[in-house]
Amino acid sequence: MAETHSLQDMRQQTAITAKVFIQRDYSSGTMCQFQTKFPSELENRIDKQQFEETVRALNNMYAEAEKLGSQSYIEGCLACLTAYTVFLCMETHYEKVLKKIAKYIQEQNDKIYAPRGLLLTDPIERGLRVVEITIFEDRSLTR
Amino acid sequence: MLFKCLLRCAAQQTERILIVFVLMCVSRCPWLTKVISPAVPLYNGLVFLFVLANFSMATFMDPGVYPRADEDEDKEDDFRAPLYKNVEIKGIQVRMKWCATCHFYRPPRCSHCSVCDNCVEDFDHHCPWVNNCIGRRNYRYFFLFLLSLSAHMVGVFCFGLIFVLDHRETLGALHTTVTLVVMCIAGLFFIPVMGLTGFHMVLVARGRTTNEQVTGKFRGGVNPFTKGCCGNVEYVLCSPLAPRYMLDPRKKPHVKIQPPFIRPDLSDRQITIKVSDNGIHSTIISSKSKSSLDGLDDKETQPPLPPKADRYNQLKSQMTSSEGKNHRNTSTTAAWWCFSSLSGKTHPSTPAMYKFRPSFGTMPKVHYHTTEEKIVISDDRKPSAILEEGVRGHDYRSEPNLDLPEYANAPLHRTFQSSPLQLDSDPINSRTLSLKQGHGRPEKGQLPALEPRTVTSTPYKSVFSPNNLSNRNGSLSYDSLLNPSISPATASECMAHRGVPSVGFHSPYLSTKMCHIREPDMQRQQVPPTYSPVISPRVVGRQSPHLRDRDPSPVRYDNLSQTIMASIQERKEKEEREKRQMHHGRSQTHIYAQDSGVFDGGYGLPANACYPDGPRGPGSRGPTPPAYGGSRDNLMGVGLMSYGQRTPVLRHAGSTLGRAPRTSPTSLHTDQSSINSSQSRTTGPEGPYRSPAHQPHSPAMPRSPSYSRQKLSYISAHERIDSPQAMKVNGQMDCHPSAQGAALSPSRHSNVKKVTGVGGTTYEISV
Repeated sequence: MAETHSLQDMRQQTAITAKVFIQRDYSSGTMCQFQTKFPSELENRIDKQQFEETVRALNNMYAEAEKLGSQSYIEGCLACLTAYTVFLCMETHYEKVLKKIAKYIQEQNDKIYAPRGLLLTDPIERGLRVVEITIFEDRSLTR
Repeated sequence: MLFKCLLRCAAQQTERILIVFVLMCVSRCPWLTKVISPAVPLYNGLVFLFVLANFSMATFMDPGVYPRADEDEDKEDDFRAPLYKNVEIKGIQVRMKWCATCHFYRPPRCSHCSVCDNCVEDFDHHCPWVNNCIGRRNYRYFFLFLLSLSAHMVGVFCFGLIFVLDHRETLGALHTTVTLVVMCIAGLFFIPVMGLTGFHMVLVARGRTTNEQVTGKFRGGVNPFTKGCCGNVEYVLCSPLAPRYMLDPRKKPHVKIQPPFIRPDLSDRQITIKVSDNGIHSTIISSKSKSSLDGLDDKETQPPLPPKADRYNQLKSQMTSSEGKNHRNTSTTAAWWCFSSLSGKTHPSTPAMYKFRPSFGTMPKVHYHTTEEKIVISDDRKPSAILEEGVRGHDYRSEPNLDLPEYANAPLHRTFQSSPLQLDSDPINSRTLSLKQGHGRPEKGQLPALEPRTVTSTPYKSVFSPNNLSNRNGSLSYDSLLNPSISPATASECMAHRGVPSVGFHSPYLSTKMCHIREPDMQRQQVPPTYSPVISPRVVGRQSPHLRDRDPSPVRYDNLSQTIMASIQERKEKEEREKRQMHHGRSQTHIYAQDSGVFDGGYGLPANACYPDGPRGPGSRGPTPPAYGGSRDNLMGVGLMSYGQRTPVLRHAGSTLGRAPRTSPTSLHTDQSSINSSQSRTTGPEGPYRSPAHQPHSPAMPRSPSYSRQKLSYISAHERIDSPQAMKVNGQMDCHPSAQGAALSPSRHSNVKKVTGVGGTTYEISV
């Protein structure tokens, strides 16, 4: 039981108990924000504060990605001037932040969620609609 | 529509204009260069390049297509999902429609393009000439294309005019003729292109999409997506390029997941529940509370049984199920529920509640969690002492039941809570009532009894969803667990308590007040033996007699906090007092009975009355809406109407329904559905608040119009009924969709099917 497996292997060996979907929070418009409400399925799996912190960090990063700041202005102007050929060589601000988010999620998974039998899925894979949390069966508690 | 025609025309002209441009260049540029300035061809060239680039981006760029939802994501939603989900955006209700093709609820502003067969984010329109949808990602390029094309056409026309005017005498010459022809073409297509450009300039300024404009979504209403004129223009032109969602499946990083897993430390975890709405604070020390709460929720969630359902059986089943489940801490859960009931303003615990509660003042957003939602109770000002009292009271009662399923505890709470609350005429009172009702939930009839009390404006119903309190309601004490037969009695007791309008409710939170308040109740409870068999002495909250009798309590006191112990002590004292006043209770009982119209004599609260199922507590999650097909929008309405009509009596029972302004049936309904009801009432202005499971019953729906600022809201509220909410996380339908209630409400949908639901009730499902 103490073996280490890759996720794929674990998927075959560690049963998935449930999947929790954290939906988007549209209260402030179509900005990409996720609800910080703690789902009840995770109650006995992870601390509420930890979870909320993760979601808030994600929300902050998405807000940063969508921010209409100087970087987005410059990018837009540059793209216009170069007839958008700049997109072929440079990645946009949003894409940069998305990479940062992916890294953050990976790190959270490794440090916090995987040890608790949970797995966060990057919302970009779902079209930024939901954050999927996979709950793995905890065999140690199986009777 | 005119602008659509313009759109098509413009697209068609694009290619022609490009050809024209080339011709113009060939024919005029050399002359123009010499005559006017060398900047002319340069300018033309740049503009042409710009037109071409934007055209290409608009044509080839992904507009923001959403990938199809995975199977596991829509598992809960698919079959029983209501057609619409409401979400509140900046205070305005917006409707999200279920996309049958893509298997998710379309985010706001998203629409499904039938040509591309995809849902597109911020869908504007499908442009046939670029053979692409215009959505969030490429709208800017499309808009710039239109602008640059207009500028280009203007330029072509003007320069052509200059050329022709200069060569008036040689109109027959080839160059001049070509120029003239080009000018005519440019002039001809100028009208549709300019028309379309002007149209989109207006759209950008107003912050709308073509789709929204043509469907008239915000006609006469407020656009929640607008950021002001400047903000909108800035958003269109300067926002960062949105990401692509249709990504290639990339290799996922390997994450090692191996059991055993770390579990959060639950032993000494304290759950702080802040009860909003009257500021009753309470800190419940719950060990393993969460799990128990969940368990409770699970158990509590049940299909909404019609009022005539056999409550006892229900209770029994609940008990069985609860026992079967591995709930760890029932007492905490019960306490939790008590508090949650008090917090009218907090987020509804049940997902369903979220969905159907249009906008609570305190609710920041509507949560469509597919997961069960926890009860979040915002903090208010009530002195914590009161809560402590409540807690203690609660704990006291629940102590014996620590090892027992939650329901044992729940009833205790209920009783307490309701009474004091009422006395205070607090909104919390109403909530308490609901809690109380929840308490008596196993016997549904009881809940309604409490309803009148609970009227307070507490909008918070979720907590009291019958689901949560089902077991608890049934029996406060351990005895109830042991003697299921008592539960009906308890129920009746609850009802009896309801009869005591003001006195009957003893909120565990009110320490001193409760003393005397409870007495009458207690007396009543004392009477139980003398009363009809229905009433069991184990009344919620007043259980003390029972508790006292049970000495060898399985309760473990080692994990009780100081407050709990104190409350236990206090309870004991109260019981002493009660015993002394038992004889006085009888007279009061009559009073109570009269007070609550609901009771016929106080005990026989018809099950109909309290059909609390409404929000099945946390369990009822929106995602698993009742299995009705199609849009269930009207279900709630239906339920509400019927419900309201069914229990007019509750109204008089002094229901001070908080805001049930527009909805008298609503208030009634809320009364009935204990927990939920209080919430729905308070949410009056908010709009239709519906307990998930019992959407049909919840009055919220039909009444929503008031709170929504636009007509849409009303629709949304109405549609909110999707009562997926009633569905539990587990997908069990606690509140069966069928439990919608048989009444027919003015459904907006054309087709209404009658379905026989649980308990033989006929429900109407709008198709």
